[in-house]
Amino acid sequence: MSKLSFRARALDAARPLPVYRRAELPQLTDCGFISRAVPQMPSGMDKDEELEHHLQRAMSAQQVFRERKENMVIPVPEAESNSTYYDRLYKGQVKVPKQLIHVQPLSLDLEQPDYDMDSEDETLLNRLNRKMDMKPLQFEIMVDRLEKASTHQEVSLAEAKRLLNEDDYLLKSVYDYWLRKRRNRCLIFQVKQENRDGSTNHHAYVAFRRRTEKMTTRKNRKNDEASYEKMLRLRREFSRTVTILEMIKKREKSKRELLHLTLEVVEKRYQLSDFNGDVLKTVALPLEEKAVYCAPVNVNNSSRHKTNVKAKMQKNQVSMREELTFDPTRPKNRCTKWERLFPPQRFPGRLPRAESIYRADVNQYDFHSSGEDEGNSTMVAQTPPTSDDENYPDGVFIFRRTDGCLYLSPRWDGGHVDIQPLHERHFLTKLSLSPDWMGLSRRRTGRGGRILLDRASCSLDSLLNQLDTYPGSWTRSRTVYPNEPVDLDQKLLMNSSSIPSLSQALKNIQTLRRCCFRPRPIQNQRITDSRTAGPSVEDRRFLDTPGSAGGITEEQYYSHQQQLMKMKKQQLEQLQYNEAMSRATAPLDHQRNQSHRSPESTSRTLDSVSAHFAASAVVSTSPSAQDALRPPKTTGVPNCPGASRSSYSTSSSVSGVGLLSIPKQQSQVGAVYPTHHHNIRPSAPPPSALKLATLAAKVIPVSGLPRDIDEPDRQLNGLSENTQPMEVT
Amino acid sequence: MVEIVEGCRLPVLRKNQENEDEWPLAEILSVKEVSARKLYYVHYIDFNKRLDEWVTSDRLDMKKLQFPKKEAKTPTKNGLPGSRPSSPEREVQNGTARRLIPSQPGRKRKANCGGTDEDSQDSSDGIPSAPRMTGSLVSDRSHDDIVTRMKNIECIELGRHRLKPWYFSPYPQELTALPILYLCEFCLKYLKSLKCLQRHLTKCNLRHPPGNEIYRKGTISFFEIDGRKNKTYSQNLCLIAKCFLDHKTLYYDTDPFLFYVMTEYDPKGFHIVGYFSKEKESTEDYNVACILTLPPYQRRGYGKLLIEFSYELSKVEGKTGTPEKPLSDLGLLSYRSYWSQTILEILMGLKPDNGERPQITINEISEITSVKKEDVISTLQYLNLINYYKGQYILTLSEDIVDGHERAMHKRHLRIDPKCLHFTPKDWSKRGKW
Repeated sequence: MSKLSFRARALDAARPLPVYRRAELPQLTDCGFISRAVPQMPSGMDKDEELEHHLQRAMSAQQVFRERKENMVIPVPEAESNSTYYDRLYKGQVKVPKQLIHVQPLSLDLEQPDYDMDSEDETLLNRLNRKMDMKPLQFEIMVDRLEKASTHQEVSLAEAKRLLNEDDYLLKSVYDYWLRKRRNRCLIFQVKQENRDGSTNHHAYVAFRRRTEKMTTRKNRKNDEASYEKMLRLRREFSRTVTILEMIKKREKSKRELLHLTLEVVEKRYQLSDFNGDVLKTVALPLEEKAVYCAPVNVNNSSRHKTNVKAKMQKNQVSMREELTFDPTRPKNRCTKWERLFPPQRFPGRLPRAESIYRADVNQYDFHSSGEDEGNSTMVAQTPPTSDDENYPDGVFIFRRTDGCLYLSPRWDGGHVDIQPLHERHFLTKLSLSPDWMGLSRRRTGRGGRILLDRASCSLDSLLNQLDTYPGSWTRSRTVYPNEPVDLDQKLLMNSSSIPSLSQALKNIQTLRRCCFRPRPIQNQRITDSRTAGPSVEDRRFLDTPGSAGGITEEQYYSHQQQLMKMKKQQLEQLQYNEAMSRATAPLDHQRNQSHRSPESTSRTLDSVSAHFAASAVVSTSPSAQDALRPPKTTGVPNCPGASRSSYSTSSSVSGVGLLSIPKQQSQVGAVYPTHHHNIRPSAPPPSALKLATLAAKVIPVSGLPRDIDEPDRQLNGLSENTQPMEVT
Repeated sequence: MVEIVEGCRLPVLRKNQENEDEWPLAEILSVKEVSARKLYYVHYIDFNKRLDEWVTSDRLDMKKLQFPKKEAKTPTKNGLPGSRPSSPEREVQNGTARRLIPSQPGRKRKANCGGTDEDSQDSSDGIPSAPRMTGSLVSDRSHDDIVTRMKNIECIELGRHRLKPWYFSPYPQELTALPILYLCEFCLKYLKSLKCLQRHLTKCNLRHPPGNEIYRKGTISFFEIDGRKNKTYSQNLCLIAKCFLDHKTLYYDTDPFLFYVMTEYDPKGFHIVGYFSKEKESTEDYNVACILTLPPYQRRGYGKLLIEFSYELSKVEGKTGTPEKPLSDLGLLSYRSYWSQTILEILMGLKPDNGERPQITINEISEITSVKKEDVISTLQYLNLINYYKGQYILTLSEDIVDGHERAMHKRHLRIDPKCLHFTPKDWSKRGKW
């Protein structure tokens, strides 16, 4: 024993333990003493129960006998296994499947009622069955539904009727019986549920409480939520897919049907020997019209797409022009930014740049007529690509075909589109409103129901203007003023012979644009010899309908009228003198402007050139400077800040638009003021006019007085001033 | 005549296994009157609760009646008369038993009856709180009230068998008054009458537990049931299991558990023999939560089979495991027996390695068997195999141990065949849910 005074090392689970048989170690007698060095391991039992009599007895028995003795086992309450009716109760036999049983996770279980009929119910059922046939399952389903519908309060008979779709008598009997039997306690027994308020925390019969959130970590719950949402989305998308597939199916079916029908038609025609389509034509006569407008619509779809692309290409340039009117000092790149922020569509009051249909459009849309005006289309092809952006200046108001509308192809009287007497379209008109005026004009209804008055200048304008001074002396008449038609091609030819190629190209564009200005059927525009100040549509006036009168005041209207008058006069006068010279210098002018000349140079040009061309040159600098690609023929008027900026559409702006869209304008719209007009200011070049020019040239105006470009009235003044120096010079 | 109230203690007549009369001391837990006769619910002191029963007054030895002490009458926290059984102080004379008593030899218990058990439970906080949410067993019994301490179901009919429950089970209260509670043998639904069961069986087409069969050899099959996916069955299983497991708690839902149901096949179907539940994720290396062999199948080796199966699962998972504590008396005996046999099987199978004496580490035993290291040590101690010899620990196999083992293994016919197990462990932690 004294040998064991040392302290035994702790048992190391990683250390190998040699295994001996007791017989091999006869000297090991007092090992029990040593083994106490090994710490006792808890048995893992409840301490109270560890001491229980039977357990202790059983354990000692095991220690002693190394096996269980029958009388040493722990006694338990007895169990019997002699059920006599088992075989009757559990009917049928089950074969063991070869494979291991695998339960499908989402096996669609037959929804069976939880309620099981008892003998009492059976009595009722038997009684009921004397009158009618009722299966026990049916009864159970009824009771089950009633039970599940009622919580604390039984469902009413009315509710029961809704719940159970049964015969009234049957329902009543079962309902009454159920009500009697139930007496406020559930007939489907369930393990007591916890109350969520925690009052049942220690109720003995409450079981299977929900675990609080501690168990599921937040992360997991989030996952649950996310996956639930994903499932929802998945479901939605699947149902959408189903719809799409159904539609595809429908479409394909229709296609097949169409094919079959076409085949049938062909066969029938073949049988009838209708090789030239006569029979078909007669048969399809009532349908033909429809077919006519169906086809263009289809064509239109593709061409519209093209147009949109073009419009997009053009977008930036348009925006720059717009921008110019707002903030002259803004750099180019910022302009585009601004444009992106406020696309032109955002301004409902904005004017269409030109409500016209170009030759290109005509060719695209009206393939019926495309063969007829081949010459024109080739001209279109010859036009430089720079014209592209100008071809679609309408923006949101771009012409779009509407389904179901019949678009007739233009009627060509002769071989040439452009030769159409103006008098067919314009009538001598007298305005009875305050700015009395008389002249050629035509009335049309613009977009939004506004009434537009297109004015045309003609050789009689001076005379008419004089007549204007006698108010009331004219009655409206439809007198036709015949004008000399001029062959456009001839003119072009003539031009090309005398001016450089660029200017010729520009002229081409302008010429083309002229015919594009009007709504499509009206291809004809009266063009007279520019030398004799041929009449051209110079102005479109808004006569705002009362409903949309908007912000045009009478004064504005009046002042604008005056300006227009002046311009007309000047045009007439100047043009007569300087036609040839202007023709030669105008292109030069444009070139200069395109090369970003300073305003001084512009003014010098103005000096040297006739006033009427100077006017056009000055104004045209802005667009051309901004964008060399842009044809410089446009007058400055459309770029007048106030015009496009003002919330209402002033007539000046309208006229500007009109001018913009009318080619050859520069030669015709010589902005020379008639001397007899009171508005003439003999002052130096007005700042705003210079400003316009300089803006275009990206140079700060030399003598530019800062002007509030936002002010419409100012703008109007500016407009008038704009043209003034031209006359002076 | 003195009135016998709850908390009184007196000797009560009962028959022991040898059918001899005994008069063990018992505590009156409840009194009721049935057809003008008083019945007393008695708990035999130092006997397991499963032997508690209703007795007539003629089995009471009124001469030795002890009234409860004053404090015993004070209501417990639950408002119910507290009447925890507590063992009287006693000397443990048995040397072998002494070894089993954990390191609290001088633990004093209240000799008198009644009163909450203060020394063993930390119920001093006074605020009843919900039990821990992991695991399936309650070791803290401070919330036991008189209701749960008394059996509430008289008899359960399950298939061919009629079972006498051992403990309280929270079946719907309406059903507790019935003389017999009927259970569907396959879906374990409880029904109030034979007629109802009959009706139910026309609708219930289950003939095996509603899960995947992961093991089959001979007539023995194991089915795996997810406590979240198959709530109804899991709850029904828990309800009947609670009838035979004292420490099992049904406080929380069955979501975090898997249930492995062992069945025996006959042409009528796959009859439940026993089951064990297992936490999907255990933080304490538990590989078994509750384990039960139904009474009709007890003492026939099924319990050991269940245990063996649970360790086979752990082997597949590559983990060591241990049953959740506390063990019941029967549980302890079964596990001890299984551990002993398993370890002895290994030790006796060790062959001398080229002349060297065979040796093995505890860790190796643990790895081979998936039995947790602590359980290996405790078993070795229990078998008295560890000795200290020549400066090192050795394992010695005595003749009686070897003989006893061989005899036991000879009787052990039912074994798990790992080849028949088709089980892929799931990583439940990655699922985010049970």
